Amino acid sequence: RQHLLKVGETGEVKVARVEEVRERLRWLARKRREEVGGEVVDLGERLERRRE
Amino acid sequence: MATHKPDARALLDDRGYSGALIRGQNPALLIEKAVRDRITESYYWKEQCFGLNAATLCDRAASLAFIGGTYGGVGKPTPFLCLLFKMLQLVPERAIVLEYLNFRDRTEEDEVEEGEGENEGAPEEKENEEVVMRGFEGLGKPRGDFKYLRALAAFYIRLAWEPVEIYRTLEPLLSDWRKLKRRTREGFVLTTVDQFVDDLLTKDRVCATALWKIPARSLLEDLELLEPRVSPLGDELEELENEMEGVEEMRNVGSEEG
Amino acid sequence: KFWDDEDVPDEVDDTDGVEPEAERVAWKLRELQRVKRERDALVAAEKEREEVERRRNLTAEERE
Repeated sequence: RQHLLKVGETGEVKVARVEEVRERLRWLARKRREEVGGEVVDLGERLERRRE
Repeated sequence: MATHKPDARALLDDRGYSGALIRGQNPALLIEKAVRDRITESYYWKEQCFGLNAATLCDRAASLAFIGGTYGGVGKPTPFLCLLFKMLQLVPERAIVLEYLNFRDRTEEDEVEEGEGENEGAPEEKENEEVVMRGFEGLGKPRGDFKYLRALAAFYIRLAWEPVEIYRTLEPLLSDWRKLKRRTREGFVLTTVDQFVDDLLTKDRVCATALWKIPARSLLEDLELLEPRVSPLGDELEELENEMEGVEEMRNVGSEEG
Repeated sequence: KFWDDEDVPDEVDDTDGVEPEAERVAWKLRELQRVKRERDALVAAEKEREEVERRRNLTAEERE
């Protein structure tokens, strides 16, 4: 798993920067949208409407 | 390269703790010893919190399903409390804590709410500060896409930051009425973000944790460190109060007659 | 007694926006109570200040 890789051989964990935190949260938000199927459809619909 | 320890060994080493201090003391001491012990003995702490940094902590926080302190006959710590303890170990920089508190997915905001994605002026770093400065956020459009992460950050801020910052940063959350599930000793109850934040600002204990005493808001106002709080209810406030008084009066009359 | 996570019934639903209007109104009431609480605290503090002042004057007169 990722956190085990991060711990690595030194037994140290890299301190995260705010950019990494934001990136992570964006990724999680996208993942959550994809998991909740209804919302994806909803968002897709809204995007479609915007294009028209 | 700046690093953390993967677990709490350094944090709990009274002889040799050399990490960041919070108000001059080891941040671990903000959690009572008995609770601390239960946290570090818990499965969630050992399996899910080992080796987290401020970015990977988001993975866990995004799957939080309730807030709370300890529960059950043995006082088992909630994942929420374990993650709070992790934050006390990491002592994330201010900008990261604000990101937890106010993160809003750009895609959703740009594409759906604002419509115009192009003419975005302010750099993102400034945005969090602006929310804090404005005093309160637009009603019904709360920031902090991950509400349990938001609650976690609020809890951390109450424990780790300074009084003026605490009021300025947390009060805007008093208009976030999203629901939160709270685990109690016996079961689950429903609360809201604004209620939880109000508890953080006014109570002595929240989620099995003693909150250090912060100066009353009025005192900080007298010292001109804080502006008086303006309720987001605004003009509606008076109206509502009159309505409420009407209801009270009717009740009183009713009880006299009955 | 043995406690297990799964033994606790969980009927609490934290889904937002199910009844948006009711959720908004419930918040308004909470906010109103907060404002009232603040105001009452200020009034109480003011009263106490006056009371202290009154007592101080009393003793001053009694001394004369």
